[in-house]
Amino acid sequence: MKKRSFSDWSLDIFVYLILSVAGLITLLPLANVFSKSVSAEWAVISGKVNIWPVGFQLDTLRNVVTSSVFVQAFAVSVFVTVVGTLLSIFVTAITAYPLSKRLPGISFVMVLFIFTMLFNGGLIPTYLLIRNLHLLDTLWSLILPAVVNVFNLLVMKSYYETLPEALEESARIDGAKTYAILFKIILPLSMPVIATISLFYAVFFWNDYFHPMLYINDEALKTLQLYLRDVVMQADSATAASKSIDELMNMSPEGVRAATVVASTVPIICVYPFLQKYFIKGVLVGSVKG
Amino acid sequence: MNSAATRLKRRSSHPGLERQRFAKWKLARRNIDYYVLLIPGLLLLLLFKYTPMYGLVIAFQEYNIFDGVSGSPWVGLDQFRKLTQTDEIVNVLTNTMLISCYKIVLLFPIPIIIALILNEVRLSAFKRTIQTIIYLPHFLSWVIISGLFITILSPSGGLVNTVLQWLGMEPISFFMDNRFFRSVIVFTAGWKEVGWNAIVFIAALAGIEQEQYEAASMDGAGRIKKMFYISLPGMMPTIIMMFILRLGSVLDAGTEQILTMYNPVVYQTGDVLGTYVYRVGLGQMDYSFSTAVGFLNSLVGFILVVGGNFVSKKLVHRGIW
Repeated sequence: MKKRSFSDWSLDIFVYLILSVAGLITLLPLANVFSKSVSAEWAVISGKVNIWPVGFQLDTLRNVVTSSVFVQAFAVSVFVTVVGTLLSIFVTAITAYPLSKRLPGISFVMVLFIFTMLFNGGLIPTYLLIRNLHLLDTLWSLILPAVVNVFNLLVMKSYYETLPEALEESARIDGAKTYAILFKIILPLSMPVIATISLFYAVFFWNDYFHPMLYINDEALKTLQLYLRDVVMQADSATAASKSIDELMNMSPEGVRAATVVASTVPIICVYPFLQKYFIKGVLVGSVKG
Repeated sequence: MNSAATRLKRRSSHPGLERQRFAKWKLARRNIDYYVLLIPGLLLLLLFKYTPMYGLVIAFQEYNIFDGVSGSPWVGLDQFRKLTQTDEIVNVLTNTMLISCYKIVLLFPIPIIIALILNEVRLSAFKRTIQTIIYLPHFLSWVIISGLFITILSPSGGLVNTVLQWLGMEPISFFMDNRFFRSVIVFTAGWKEVGWNAIVFIAALAGIEQEQYEAASMDGAGRIKKMFYISLPGMMPTIIMMFILRLGSVLDAGTEQILTMYNPVVYQTGDVLGTYVYRVGLGQMDYSFSTAVGFLNSLVGFILVVGGNFVSKKLVHRGIW
């Protein structure tokens, strides 16, 4: 075997160095916030906390996750995510099925769906619609408009198209009806793509702060992201003492903010291994759909 | 009578067409089950996507919430005329274009470089670890990322300012300083997405045939040569398509991102089209004017995406549809 040349060595060093730096830049803000959430108050205020915790304590974190506002916001987010994802995946799965068939009028329906990816009515008309439907300050305003995501619909449709035609034909010869074929044969075979799309929807519902910000004013219906936004933005302007911070007296806003950020990030980190695997699949299916 | 005769004649001259149409109907009726499945999805689509498009008519009205669309007076293009007379709009457009262009120029090449560099890593454990780390921020919401960076960039005890002070510099309040706000926006956008955006390019690299590399090795090409003469050209169609698509969304400078990060102090450098529509529309309740701005925004965006797709198909024979 040929001896490795100098340029080969230097390229390797360069490659590993650059990627390690990229990894560190990604991890640094996370490590910093985590350390602040579990460090002593005096250390946080005086800026002693960098990468490692100083004066380790879990009181701030405990107080944040047991405060009634946090628990409530967390529960609202769980509700929206679970109901939203189940409803979305059901509607997406049954809508994509006829779209994968060559039937009269289907291509027109496809155009109707795809057009909404390219053009939309915009913020205000959508807000006024939600208002006129009396959906403001209801959790349905966060769920119903998001139930059909056209990108996910296309991923689902192109998956159906890869299933062998013969499967359905033989079931039909045995006397099975369309719905029986869909629910008993097609959907069980589509579990991998259903898992992928469920995660797409779940991450969207969990992370969405924009729509709650537009449609939800009721304190009791605030989602976790909306609550987090209040904490982040208020701790930012030093003068404002938010309700949540009053509740957690004797704690620095910096520490509380860090703890709230950490508590909201943990659920995502816990499911991240699945997310990564299935999301990459989904992205690649979506990009080769052609 | 004359016309009836010709109609009859025309019909009989295209018997095939008529039969075809009839066959289509029969096919549709026989498969009525499939169409039933479309109903819930279509209803939601019409209600939540197409009704707001009809709602765009208020851009041509002086809409007020009590009279509704039917009762509000029509004003033609007044809202659009008002737009050209608003001083703020110049600032908003400048910010939108500047932030978008910085994002494209600085952030578009990074995922390509990451993909090329990752391709040179032979230790698969290291490769997997780095991928796992750099994909992570994609899954965090903008609120969380805003919280992370407000913490790390805080002028009182934030990590970056601690380092600055250690170097003998004055602390900087990045989120309150018009000199730095755009840089913060561009950097945090990069932090969130450059790793994730590399996936498409990594897939493109995986699609290049190994024989090409082997042949190049035979001819004595080193790794860097192979990177420039095989990997990069192999990714080119993907790069061109992604770039054109990226240009299509140039008017969206990151509305949801900026809404979690900005404050009145940095409106001067951070207010973009999307945030302006939000502020004027829902903050000041100027529904018609805000809808007019949003309408122009959607329209130009539409033209850019459709045009971009057309160009992409012409250039690299690939498009999004």
